[in-house]
Amino acid sequence: MEVDIRNRPSFANLMVQLEPGDRIIAEAGAMASMSSNVEISTRWSGGMSKAIVKRVFGSESLFVNEFSTSSPGHVVLTQPFPGDMVCTELTGNTLFLQPGAFIACEPGVTLGLGWAGLRSLIAREGLFRLKVSGHGRVWFGAYGAIFTREVQDEYIVDTGHLVAYEPTIAIRVGLVGGIFSSFFSGEGVITRVQGQGKIYMQSRSFSGLAAWTNTHLY
Amino acid sequence: MIDSNPTFRGGLFHADLPDGRSGASIKLTRTELVAEALCEGQPQFAIPLNECQLDLGGASGKMVFCRNADRSLTIFSEDPSFVAAVAQSAYGTLEAQFRSLRARRRGEANRFRVGVVAATLAFALVCVGVYFGVLAAARTAVRALPIRIDEQIGEMAIQSLVPEPRLDADHPATLLAHEIVQQLQPHAAIPEMNFRVLVVASDEVNAFALPGGQMVVYTGLLKKAESPEQIAGVIAHEMSHATLRHGLQGVSQSLGIVAAVQFLVGDLGGLVSIGSQLAQKSILTSYSRTAETEADLEGARMLHEAGIDPVAMAEFFALLEAEVGDIPDVAAWISTHPQHAQRVEDIRRLLQGLPKKQYRSLDLDLKATQQALQ
Ligand SMILES: [Zn+2]
Repeated sequence: MEVDIRNRPSFANLMVQLEPGDRIIAEAGAMASMSSNVEISTRWSGGMSKAIVKRVFGSESLFVNEFSTSSPGHVVLTQPFPGDMVCTELTGNTLFLQPGAFIACEPGVTLGLGWAGLRSLIAREGLFRLKVSGHGRVWFGAYGAIFTREVQDEYIVDTGHLVAYEPTIAIRVGLVGGIFSSFFSGEGVITRVQGQGKIYMQSRSFSGLAAWTNTHLY
Repeated sequence: MIDSNPTFRGGLFHADLPDGRSGASIKLTRTELVAEALCEGQPQFAIPLNECQLDLGGASGKMVFCRNADRSLTIFSEDPSFVAAVAQSAYGTLEAQFRSLRARRRGEANRFRVGVVAATLAFALVCVGVYFGVLAAARTAVRALPIRIDEQIGEMAIQSLVPEPRLDADHPATLLAHEIVQQLQPHAAIPEMNFRVLVVASDEVNAFALPGGQMVVYTGLLKKAESPEQIAGVIAHEMSHATLRHGLQGVSQSLGIVAAVQFLVGDLGGLVSIGSQLAQKSILTSYSRTAETEADLEGARMLHEAGIDPVAMAEFFALLEAEVGDIPDVAAWISTHPQHAQRVEDIRRLLQGLPKKQYRSLDLDLKATQQALQ
């Protein structure tokens, strides 16, 4: 299965060339176009109770679609906001994705929804996170450009900019400086990323977009 | 071949691996921690247990990291049995490391909890600060506005807030109330205000003032009064609400608080509801304790200036309070004017500070008016 990330970095989308026997699992709603011979089947991702909780609190949809074919064809997968996408290959390791980041994965990858906790909520990364593990390629996207960093001890990320991180990384919430400077610096709460592992960040944040839009509404 | 050493799922970091990392199958021998990478080629890595530096962390806070002496190799797992197995291995030499790590984690968790509580308290304090800031700002701002605004709000409110039936302008009760207003007007803080009075035919013991000088007195209150001076006391109090512009303060505080809440928590669609809030009687005619005390003292000052004994006002409060237990449903005015004992006390104290004066009695026939109301 050949997968090409096109139109990078602003409007990245996946061109998936399917050969007979190939399968790809994608976030429901990610499909933009596909060959008429490609077959779609929909299934739950994660358990039923988690699916309900996710529907209520999470931003990601309940379902995933599995694409397969008996003769060569293609599928184009997109994300709803402008930005880059990346591919990473799992070799028995795990990655946590922020809600909304997941686009597609190979069948060897297991998807699970996990409780991310109060710290994550304060850091505006959501109460839930998607756990991808197993073997195979995973594609995920971001709002704006994606950049990575190998964290060795500690690193600071503005809230809402963290897209994905390895489970060896701990997420802590912190203030930029004192209470006063946090309130007036425009940075406020930041995310302290601690431990050893890779983090993926996005160059834009949705709260930043919302704030910018608000100033132009009146 | 049967392997007696248990295996655990986990991962490892090493520069030789593609991308520097891999999932791993971890084995614990008597002397070593051996990790077999799950990526292609499946190279093996090992850390001697006597060299092992432990750390706790990761997204769950429960992941165990083992590093070699130069920290070039890291083997980690989240498997709960892995923690126990490592702690028991090497004759318990690693147990001490675990104990101090766990203590440190508990300290961090406690600090986080304290932080959340402190942040919640700080937010609540900011809210309270904004609330009182808005109240104070509204009081100051209202004084700078032209009286015409009070009058317009008052006129808009008459239709919806003054109940029917209302007595005619030439009814003895209306004339009596009007005469009292006339006598008090020259001594009001804003004498040019357009003071008017409407009498509502209702047995409720009630009176209120709308912004701009429109007053409303219920026949129930007129029937209950023992002297025209007592009615003058209530009317002076209500005129003071108008001249002190308490109605407009209530409106601007409500608007200000809605605006402040929107600023703090984002848009609540609150502006839509302001229109309907403005029409609510409670905002225009029931005031804070501070406003009531202000109206009492200003009313007492007016009565004193007009040569009417302000004690009559205090007497009327006392009278209403004595009766409120018997007929609670008719004492509406009392319900918006609490703390009578304190108010009577405040009025008496104010009078002690004023120059002695020979008070007159009002030349009004209350008995005849009360008979006309039967
Ligand atoms: Zn009052």
